[in-house]
Amino acid sequence: MKISPLSTLVGLLALAFTLATGLALTTDNWSSRAKSDNLFGMLFGDGRKLFANHFFTMADVYFHSGYYPSIFDKNSGEEKEIISASHGKKESEEDEKNEDFLGQPKDWIDAFGRNFRITQHTHLENHNEREILPWLRLAADLDPQKIETYTVGAFFLREHLGRADQAEAFLREGLRNNPDSCEILFELGRVYHDGNHDAERARNVWLLGIKKFFLRPPDQQKEDKLIFEGLVVNLAHLEDEAGNYGAAINWLQAAQKVSPAPGALQKQIDELQKKLAALVPVTPGKLY
Amino acid sequence: MSKIFALAAVVIKELYRRKDFYVLFVLTALLTLAAGAVNFFHDDKIVRYVKDICLLLIWVSALVISVVTAARQIPAEREARTIFPLLAKPVSRWQVIVGKFLGCWLATGVALVVFYFFFAAVTGSKEQIWPWGAYLEAVWMQWAMLAIVIAMVLLGSIFFAAPSSTSTITLVVVGGILLLGTHLKVIALQQPEPMQFILTVVYFVMPHLEWYDLRDFVVYDMGIVPLRAVALATLYAAAWSGIFLLLAWFGFRRKNLTT
Amino acid sequence: MSAILQTQKLRVEYRTRDLRQATKVALNGLDLEVRAGEVFGFLGPNGAGKTTTMNVLLGFVPPTSGTASLFGIDVRQPIARQRIGYLPELTYYYKFLTAEELLRFYAKIFGLARAETDKRIAELLKLVELESAAKRPIKSYSKGMQQRVGLAQSLINNPDLLILDEPTSGLDPLGRMKVREIIQRLKEQGKTVFFSSHELGEVETICDRVAIVHQGELKAVGTVAEISAGFDNLEKAFLKIVGFQPSPAP
Repeated sequence: MKISPLSTLVGLLALAFTLATGLALTTDNWSSRAKSDNLFGMLFGDGRKLFANHFFTMADVYFHSGYYPSIFDKNSGEEKEIISASHGKKESEEDEKNEDFLGQPKDWIDAFGRNFRITQHTHLENHNEREILPWLRLAADLDPQKIETYTVGAFFLREHLGRADQAEAFLREGLRNNPDSCEILFELGRVYHDGNHDAERARNVWLLGIKKFFLRPPDQQKEDKLIFEGLVVNLAHLEDEAGNYGAAINWLQAAQKVSPAPGALQKQIDELQKKLAALVPVTPGKLY
Repeated sequence: MSKIFALAAVVIKELYRRKDFYVLFVLTALLTLAAGAVNFFHDDKIVRYVKDICLLLIWVSALVISVVTAARQIPAEREARTIFPLLAKPVSRWQVIVGKFLGCWLATGVALVVFYFFFAAVTGSKEQIWPWGAYLEAVWMQWAMLAIVIAMVLLGSIFFAAPSSTSTITLVVVGGILLLGTHLKVIALQQPEPMQFILTVVYFVMPHLEWYDLRDFVVYDMGIVPLRAVALATLYAAAWSGIFLLLAWFGFRRKNLTT
Repeated sequence: MSAILQTQKLRVEYRTRDLRQATKVALNGLDLEVRAGEVFGFLGPNGAGKTTTMNVLLGFVPPTSGTASLFGIDVRQPIARQRIGYLPELTYYYKFLTAEELLRFYAKIFGLARAETDKRIAELLKLVELESAAKRPIKSYSKGMQQRVGLAQSLINNPDLLILDEPTSGLDPLGRMKVREIIQRLKEQGKTVFFSSHELGEVETICDRVAIVHQGELKAVGTVAEISAGFDNLEKAFLKIVGFQPSPAP
């Protein structure tokens, strides 16, 4: 039977309209990626997290002025980042040795090639830390849920560049994207305490951080115990500065339960107890 | 030598009368200026990421210009049949090979100088310093590396009929060496035999193009590389270029050009 | 008269893709001699080996065996081509260059001095009537103009031997006349011209001697009169020599 071109055309048009009607209902239920308000989210989907991780690593590379292990270097297994948001802790000598990933030259090619590579372990200083900021900004734009980006960025803005206001703004942006983040709250407290010398706001934010911590599932609390230690130790120092030695002792005792170095904390507790003993006894503050 | 320079001059004329260089330069300039115009945390002194992006674009552009230009020299002459009136003159096939190489290399050198002047202008406007020593070293080393690449491409163009094949294969090889060259020995040691042996042989036999990448020294303001090392690297580049050109000549000299 | 161009037992074989025949013999022991000052026509049907002979003389194709020399120098030496000019049948030149740049480039290859180059370029552009178009790129030229550029580049070094591959192919009658005039002028200057052609009428008019090749072998060589002896004209002699059998009359 010969089918005429006109009936073929009509048939195809009918098929097209049927498919369009059926698919229109289906596409409405597709994932929210196409309706994302984030350009990178729309363009890259979950692949943006890979880029974000790469840019975060670039910030670390920049911090070390190019002296950085590649994925092929032996000692780079743990991806231990040096740019940590710890409170002013300098790298130990052992950390420095672990970062000497190059080792002895393997042959004459490696030896000669080191003339053209950066082989000195250095850190940016004297306000040159600003150079890592673009990569942190890009990492934050690509993956707003990567909390480290905000905490590291804020640390350098506050501690090294003296820009507490920009650190606060960056952390608040991080908090909008990650409202339950204890880490961001911890760092925000550091901004208020160390940057703005506003103890009240620091206390409020750290207390909120502890509240958020206890809202986490028990398993996650065990994993994140270091951030809890950080929060309570800083609260202890805050109370110590305010003369509330009893409250400070309570916080340190709470920290001892999770700390890997309870002995060091015990020394601080002993000193606080001496200070307390020298005062009129007061009722210790409640532990939240 | 005047014949070689005459051949080189024709190659250079061809490059600046084609659009490749201008397109790549404008692209590099636009991307660099766009990157430099972004305001990160209201700090206009941030400059290293601009240097990094610009130098990456320069490297990619120079590599593309050199590979694409060199890949089409001999095949285009054969396809357009301009090789016949040329070889009917008192010029040897060796002179043709060397003339083409010199033309591509000089043309790429001119392109590099233009790119780096732009780079110096953009970064200098931000950081107000011009480490000319470091810039000169970076240009020189990149140019030396491109000599090896151009010679490699010319060799490939003798055996592969299509310029696109030569370009693709060379870019893959060069990209592989630049990314993995430093780490190939480490990778080899992690492999079982016989792959370990093969990779080790490749590591020792291949031209180490990654030595010529001084971008980190420029981006991180690490000063200049010792001149002795630069001189030795230059000799290494000359040796490898010579080897590839000789091999190209061996392939070209007995080739029947009419088929 | 000394031989300007000479081949001795010249043999060229090509590898083929035909399974029945691994190699094809393009030239089979060709012995050819062109003397100084003569206009020599090189004739043969398509596939006879004319282009292969030229390719060997110009160094494009290495001979399988035998020798070929120009001015007593083996053709494999680039210096053998110092005193020759070559006009290919199809004109292909660098399209991005102007006529003047092309001529200047080839002059440099020949090692001509700057002053002589300028003089030769001016003369040749006038000869081939391309003065007004000299500074335009060749890609903007018509076919006829490109052929005239070809003629100019073949004369840039004031050659003692001109090798022309079908010089009047594709030219209009005026163009052909121009080429004939140039060949005649070169002869008067004592130059040697070696050319292949299918235009037997022209060959009869201007050639001192001709050679006829067929299936890679030299079938006849001599003056036009010697080859045409016993025939009405060169064409009939040519057809007989290459073994053409006319169809019987109906």
